[in-house]
Amino acid sequence: MKILIVDDDRINSTVLNRLLSREGHQVLSAEDGRAGVEMFASEQPDLVLMDIRMPHMNGYEAARAIKQISSDRFVPVIFLTAVTDEEGLVQCIESGGDDFLTKPFNRTILRAKIEAMERIRRLHTELHTQKEELERHQERVQQELDISQHLFSNIVRAGNLLDAPCLRHMSVPMSQFNGDLLVASYNPAGGLHVMLGDFTGHGLSAAVGALPLSEIFYGLTAQGYSIGDLAEAMNDKLLDIMPTRMFCAACLLEVDFRQQSLTVWNGGLPDVLLVDGQGRLQHRILSNHLPLGIRPFTPDDRKVAIFELRKETRAFLYSDGLTEATRSDHEMFGSERLERYFDGSVPPEKLFDTIWAALEHFRGTAQQTDDISILEIDCARAGEESSGDRFSQARKKVTPTNWSLSFFFSPQLLQTVDPLPAIVHAIMNLQAPTGHRERIYTTLAELFSNALDHGLLGLDTRTKRTPEGFLRYYSQREERLAALAHGFIRLELTHIPQFDEKQQKIGGEMHIRVEDGGPGFDHRRVHSALEDNTGHGGRGIALVRSLCTKLSYNDAGNCADVVYRWTI
Amino acid sequence: MSGTISIARSDQETTISIKGRFNFEMHSQFRAAYQEETTDKSHSRRFIIDLAGTEYIDSSALGMLLLLREEAGTNEADIEIANARPEIRKILETANFQRLFKIT
Repeated sequence: MKILIVDDDRINSTVLNRLLSREGHQVLSAEDGRAGVEMFASEQPDLVLMDIRMPHMNGYEAARAIKQISSDRFVPVIFLTAVTDEEGLVQCIESGGDDFLTKPFNRTILRAKIEAMERIRRLHTELHTQKEELERHQERVQQELDISQHLFSNIVRAGNLLDAPCLRHMSVPMSQFNGDLLVASYNPAGGLHVMLGDFTGHGLSAAVGALPLSEIFYGLTAQGYSIGDLAEAMNDKLLDIMPTRMFCAACLLEVDFRQQSLTVWNGGLPDVLLVDGQGRLQHRILSNHLPLGIRPFTPDDRKVAIFELRKETRAFLYSDGLTEATRSDHEMFGSERLERYFDGSVPPEKLFDTIWAALEHFRGTAQQTDDISILEIDCARAGEESSGDRFSQARKKVTPTNWSLSFFFSPQLLQTVDPLPAIVHAIMNLQAPTGHRERIYTTLAELFSNALDHGLLGLDTRTKRTPEGFLRYYSQREERLAALAHGFIRLELTHIPQFDEKQQKIGGEMHIRVEDGGPGFDHRRVHSALEDNTGHGGRGIALVRSLCTKLSYNDAGNCADVVYRWTI
Repeated sequence: MSGTISIARSDQETTISIKGRFNFEMHSQFRAAYQEETTDKSHSRRFIIDLAGTEYIDSSALGMLLLLREEAGTNEADIEIANARPEIRKILETANFQRLFKIT
């Protein structure tokens, strides 16, 4: 060990020097306090033996200076003193001394004290190294978290339409990662899909599950799948990847402005609240499914609730982090306190801000214990377009060619799947006229649902004119579809490229024929009802007419021919 | 701050009572409480989760119940969640756990 002796008494100094050298230490000597501090700075010894009364600078001051220089490492200072009075010793400790040694020196005690100090010094160094290592580790982890968070939010945000004019939302994660997933996107028919998911727990482990879910959400929504399909696909995925004790409480909604309907699948999220034009709670949509990721779906698990959408309706959904937010005395915000705002005393357009402000005020400075999310859907603004780019993904361009497709659907197939998304997907992979996907989808969807609802199931559009009828229509549809034993739907599609006068390809024509095996329906009546635009549903054929070049029905009304034209 | 667990065993039944807050901090305690019984698969055992003294339950606790259900490998009726207060019952019902457990 490198030991510095600071003492103006030469005899003392020499005795000590000899003693320590014999023990194998490297020894340095300084004659007074100031010289001692200078030597300490240049030689960096491991231990200092310090006399008290010295010229230029006394031992106390020198010890203080040395402790200041060596603040980042531990260098023991042992005072050499003749005084044993309490006050003198207190002063030793106060000036930063670690121990003292009374004159005359006892060799054994000296050795013991130096060894003890050496042990402390080693411990100190070890601690210091570990602390540095921890700090480096922490920094690395933080960097990785920052990068992950960046990736995470980009993946979840890609194509997210939370900025749609009809949506307002607030989501405050408890830690860096949000275990609440909030996503929105348009389907090809122009309907808006919205989802709020709440994973077990919070933080990174909860957030990881959000990645596959958001991917499924965007992918299937863009392909035209229903929210029941989305829920099932997400459930399958989570069953595959998540441990038993993790699941995702989720609510999926489809807002369809054209059909003026709100479709809801709620598995484990708090009640969705529907509020009327006076700001009063009009209806609550209870969770009627298990959360996602607990067990495989049965046909019942796909069931959705359908509601008529009125212009003045607002829908509120939230994660339980909102009602379980606690203030410092452990009292929870609670659903009662929340629902008090829906009594008509707050104007509907002020509800969102009022609730959020009330929550902030309630929580005060109390620590957040879960992720908190709340979302509002304003149906009056539901038709407004988002500024975001709806379909930005690049598609390969195929020059217009000749091709045709033919599908035949039996009742058994119609009962189990909605074949439309798969068909549109197939068509888009063959010939993807950019910007036409939604129109083609809408055309096919309307023709198809006419063939099924009116042609095969014999449902009457007029039923939908009253709110009660609206619900009856959908329950009738479900019953009749389940009982359907005969009939079919045939879809034929022929694509013919179009040329200009120089024989250059300029686009194409899709000739679509949808035929059903039912008795036919009065398309003229359906058609005219639609042109009157009388509200609930049934605007299908008028819409198809506006999108297509030609639309004609055969006399029986069970076979529709449509020509859809597109240009490059 | 978390709750406490007490266990009572009889020949065919194990009653696990949770007092206070049933949350993620209870994970290892809760697991230890049933693990001894679930390792012996030779005879089936009924579990009663007594929530009479439970003040709060979070989603991690629901996850623990799912884990018990899996590890016990029993059918629905063999795990009973008993005496839950109205607020806690509401949480269980929002998650539709009555389809997985017998809630009494």
